[in-house]
Amino acid sequence: MSKVPQVIRGFGVTFLSMFKKVTTEQYPEERDKYPPKPRFHGRHQLNRHPDGLEKCIGCELCAWACPADAIYVEGADNTEEERFSPGERYGRTYQINYLRCILCGLCIEACPTRALTMTNEYELADDSREKLIFTKEDLLAPLLSGMELPPHDMAPGTTAIDYYEGKVGSSPTPTTVKVGDDK
Amino acid sequence: MTLTPVLSAHWDEADSYKIAGYMRNGGYTAFKKAFATGPDEIISLVKDSGLRGRGGAGFPTGLKWSFVPQGDDKPHYLVINADESEPGACKDIPLMMANPHALIEGVIIAAYAMRANHAFIYLRGEVPHVFRRVNSAIREAYAAGYLGKNIMGSGFDLEVVLHAGAGAYICGEETALLDSLEGRRGQPRLKPPFPAVAGLYASPSCVNNVETIANIPYIVNNGVDWFKSFGTEKSPGFKLFAVSGHVNRPGIYEAPLGITMRELLEHAGGVRDGHKVKFWLPGGSSVPMLTPDLLDTPLTYEDIAAAGSMLGTGTPMIFDETTSVVRAVTGWLAFYKHESCGKCTPCREGTWWLSDVLHRFEDGHGTEADLDKLIDICSQIAGRSFCALGDAAATPFPAALKYFRDEFVQATNAPANESFDPVAATVFAGATR
Amino acid sequence: MTVTTQTVTVTVDGVVVEVPAGTLIIRVAEMLGTAIPRFCDHPLLDPVAACRMCLVEIEGQGKPQPSCAVTVSDGMVIKTQHTSEMAEKAQAGVMEFLLINHPLDCPICDKGGECPLQNQAMTNGQGETRFEGTKRTFPKPINVSAQVLLDRERCVSCARCTRFADQIAGDPFIELLERGAKQQVGTSEDQPFDSYFSGNTIQICPVGALTSAKYRFRSRPFDLISTPTACEHCASGCALRTDVRRSTVMRRLAWDAPEVNEEWNCDKGRFAFPYTSEGRLTHPLVRDEAGNLGPASWPEALRVAAAGLAGIGKSTAVLTGGRVTVEDAKAYASFAREVLGTNDVDFRARAVSNEETAFLANHVANKPMDVTYGDLEAAKSVLLVSFEPEDESPIVFLRLRKAALSGTTKVFAVAPYTSAGLAKMKGTLLAAGPREEVSVIASAASHLSGDSVILVGERAAQTPGALTAVAELAAKTGAKLAWIPRRAGDRGALDAGLLPIDGRNTSEIVSATGSAVKGLVIGGVSPEDVDGDLLSAIDKAQFVVSLETRHTEITAEADVVLPVAVVTEKAGTFRNWEGRDRSFAAVIPTPGALSDADVLGELARELGKSLSVSDFWASATKPALKADAASTESVGNGQAVLSTWRHLLDKGSLQSGEPYLAATARVAVVRVSPATAQKLNLVDGGTATVSCCGNSASAPLIVTAGMTDDVVWLPANSEGSSLNLPSGCVVEVSQGGN
Repeated sequence: MSKVPQVIRGFGVTFLSMFKKVTTEQYPEERDKYPPKPRFHGRHQLNRHPDGLEKCIGCELCAWACPADAIYVEGADNTEEERFSPGERYGRTYQINYLRCILCGLCIEACPTRALTMTNEYELADDSREKLIFTKEDLLAPLLSGMELPPHDMAPGTTAIDYYEGKVGSSPTPTTVKVGDDK
Repeated sequence: MTLTPVLSAHWDEADSYKIAGYMRNGGYTAFKKAFATGPDEIISLVKDSGLRGRGGAGFPTGLKWSFVPQGDDKPHYLVINADESEPGACKDIPLMMANPHALIEGVIIAAYAMRANHAFIYLRGEVPHVFRRVNSAIREAYAAGYLGKNIMGSGFDLEVVLHAGAGAYICGEETALLDSLEGRRGQPRLKPPFPAVAGLYASPSCVNNVETIANIPYIVNNGVDWFKSFGTEKSPGFKLFAVSGHVNRPGIYEAPLGITMRELLEHAGGVRDGHKVKFWLPGGSSVPMLTPDLLDTPLTYEDIAAAGSMLGTGTPMIFDETTSVVRAVTGWLAFYKHESCGKCTPCREGTWWLSDVLHRFEDGHGTEADLDKLIDICSQIAGRSFCALGDAAATPFPAALKYFRDEFVQATNAPANESFDPVAATVFAGATR
Repeated sequence: MTVTTQTVTVTVDGVVVEVPAGTLIIRVAEMLGTAIPRFCDHPLLDPVAACRMCLVEIEGQGKPQPSCAVTVSDGMVIKTQHTSEMAEKAQAGVMEFLLINHPLDCPICDKGGECPLQNQAMTNGQGETRFEGTKRTFPKPINVSAQVLLDRERCVSCARCTRFADQIAGDPFIELLERGAKQQVGTSEDQPFDSYFSGNTIQICPVGALTSAKYRFRSRPFDLISTPTACEHCASGCALRTDVRRSTVMRRLAWDAPEVNEEWNCDKGRFAFPYTSEGRLTHPLVRDEAGNLGPASWPEALRVAAAGLAGIGKSTAVLTGGRVTVEDAKAYASFAREVLGTNDVDFRARAVSNEETAFLANHVANKPMDVTYGDLEAAKSVLLVSFEPEDESPIVFLRLRKAALSGTTKVFAVAPYTSAGLAKMKGTLLAAGPREEVSVIASAASHLSGDSVILVGERAAQTPGALTAVAELAAKTGAKLAWIPRRAGDRGALDAGLLPIDGRNTSEIVSATGSAVKGLVIGGVSPEDVDGDLLSAIDKAQFVVSLETRHTEITAEADVVLPVAVVTEKAGTFRNWEGRDRSFAAVIPTPGALSDADVLGELARELGKSLSVSDFWASATKPALKADAASTESVGNGQAVLSTWRHLLDKGSLQSGEPYLAATARVAVVRVSPATAQKLNLVDGGTATVSCCGNSASAPLIVTAGMTDDVVWLPANSEGSSLNLPSGCVVEVSQGGN
């Protein structure tokens, strides 16, 4: 090999590469071809009970756990007339600031009701700061079949405990739910 | 040892509960003697007699009386604890049914000694027949001039009020009794101040058991030496032993302190035919259980304490081998859970928890780890609670486990009712067979 | 007086200390910096030893003892959980017991994050529970009053709330019910916990069992920025803590001030704060040539105001109201006297008299700390004149009640009937209607000595001769004299000189407006408070400048409206009735929020002058005190003399926007004596109508035994009674309502 000039040997690497399999992923054209790993920490989702009531109880533990102070929550009272979640309390205001969020997942560990989970959604870029503060409407899981848009009453004859114990309907797997792409 | 009926000597007479019956047998003579002797002398006399409280704790009565400060300008109160609610205890209620005037005469003497012009008898509310009987006895005493203003020209006034409680075990605790008597919820009070300093209506008070006070007229009439001729040096006198449980003749046996359980059992006709003693309790459910090998222990405050239990109210309960220890202990704990007043945490939550776990054993669902947990819970109640009710609630289980661990282990996979036929332990057991 | 305190020597965890005899073990440990966990213990409540959390080992005693209830004795050797295995185990056991029935709802509990139970469970508790059963449950929450909510599952039965209600407030409307693990706090079926002090139970609850409807689910402790503040609602001078989340006040708590409010406050001070954010003026308003009030810039508004005031100068009167801080009061005083050159300045937005002016000038102004809360507690007797402490200065009430219950102080009140507050202070009524007050005051000397205090309320101005009689009584008996106004700014305003020395008082200003008085500068005044028709006076005035926080009837009529800061936006000082300065910091620093003093400073600059800080009273000529002539109006058939005061919770403008608080207010009632009821044909329990000068109010009638005859009592400006007349008016009283 020493007889082959250095220059040719150098081009040899280039020449061989031309026949290798290309590793470049075409984004966004071929986005769906390369889904993220199932355990990827993507944008958050606020889940619902099977009948559509929200799981979030507005406890702010996610905000407390957040190392980046990206979450803002305000709780409020469920009333007889307006019920958003089982039990006494629901999250009236829920915001996640994705300019701050580092997608560490401490918030979902803190969540006592599994209301907050993370999806595989990773497309978190936009053209203004305001748009990157996701509000409750943006974060709430979509209504699946059998779900009714809150506010509405708890299923007749059930208590909040029944909801927490999963006795009301059967829960869909939150991570498989595709979030609307309107953002 | 033979029986020595004093308080119960004339219970078989038709009018033992009437003033005439009581006086026929020498009643209402002691208080006149007391009036002639003087109050301080009566206190010394009771002190010298060595009479100990019959309500359970065994505190020297004369000493208790002497704690009531004299010469202050506050009213003094004598309160009689007739709230007999201890499971297994049934001595004060028969005494008040059959011999209420001994109590009333005792009240006159005790009130005179501690310069109280007002005495209250706090009777548990579930016994209206006793209420009626004591009430009519008080009425008789008033009519005879033994109560009221200027009794027999002595210048001593005494009003006696009979008060019916609403049926709470805690109201047998003296400070809770005082709260209840004042019209509040029956919950024990913080001590100090002790009742002798600030008791009923924040005035010096003395709370005594029915039987203790009923002893007084006989001591005054017959003297210290006569009284001390019964019993032992540290536990002088005689006692109403209410023997209950699996014996042929349950009932009240008045005998000198120091009689053994075996002797008492003989008087009570022995254990049910064909059965033998499994365990026994010297005085109510709040004292640790003892085994048959201790039947020869003299029933005195000191000997029973040395044997690892307490004389308590002196109302022995005998259980034969048909009894499930698990069921018995669970029943007692259910009682304590129900009767806990709720004031302090260890008793309120501890009895609730103990009862919860023991019910699992009764149903055959306990685990061996639970046994250690139960012992630990008991150790965290005993000595931590506000009053003695907590201590009492923590007593039955550790003693039961000490002697009958096997039965609790058995209860980890078999319900108590399967291991021990509940019917076999009943009075009507023979009839069903 | 020197007090020799006996001391004892005790050992705590090996440290030998000398402490006063009779100290509780838990306090000794605190002095040494050893925190013994506790729930039921509270330094201002009697020990109860119920929770058993504070168990410690005392050498020589077989079982652990509650350190909150055992006092030290000489030579006592105490071992806390740090050195004693017994104490540590006992405390761990109690903690475990407390948690078995405690719900796991910390995430939704308002107390979460600042909860003694949570904190101590995290520090001392076990990580794993050994309890496998089902927890006891209750339906939750239930209302014990409109404001106070009770979650019985969370309750640890420490009895702090019930002891507070019984021992401190004297409103034992909550009590522990049931027994064992079912023990719970409850109310009587027909009597909710409507106590003026109910909020304190929420604050001292060591778990989240008691929460307020106002703060429920509003925020978490870590969201809050806390600022020490002073209360603006009355002259008691409570220290408060104001908690803010994102520039909104979330709640206010009573803060520790041992010499003033101890650790308590009233529900008005605690819950009445929504007014600070509702209906606020955001920019100046100026009336244009067409007569329409429109927004204007600050320079324009100041220019218009300055031009208007320059034109009338000395003919301007200044009414400040009683809500000004000391700093603002000084600015008003300087602005009126030095910039405008007028002596027509008065802080009193209520019925006033020149007798009162002289009384305040001679006996109250510039005499700070003459009488203090400590003096009330030490006094042998306290005489209340035209003053109902529970309604008009609640912390004074609490202190008087404490003194009365401890047996040191006897309370006497010159009043028409024995109020609930007076009964709670175990007070003695010296019955007097408005017409008898002067003679009853004079004859009260027998109850007073040099160790006594006379507390006279602002309502004394409504009775001619009363203040003179009070001054004479104080001189005669040697008793100390204190004046307790209703509003937080009154004492500071008085000391700053906002009193019409050589000028017109509030009523005279109102009646002279349009003639001698041409212009008005009005601070925080509500027209209904003033004795006279302020709104028609504003109509008649040539030029009116209003400094206000919110849109009011006055701002609607003013020529220039200058928005000023509310207490949350500015720092300042309130001077309480003692003359004690209660400083507070800005809770929500707001750019552009100007205090009254800032605005007046700008206005003075616009007028080419500046404000000064001079001591008005150093050079003031104090008018001589002399009694005004008593009313001679006859009381005819169907008539009675009105006696009135405001309930603590009334229709005051600073209480707006808080429906839960308003729902705990006392309902208005009409009171007359049995003889008067008979004379006027009134039936107990029926409805009675009180009317005068075209105004009337109807309320249920309570025939009150022991009340002065020919007097009718009705609360002023309260829910169910909008009759705003001073005491002493002759009114018609009739059966039936409208």
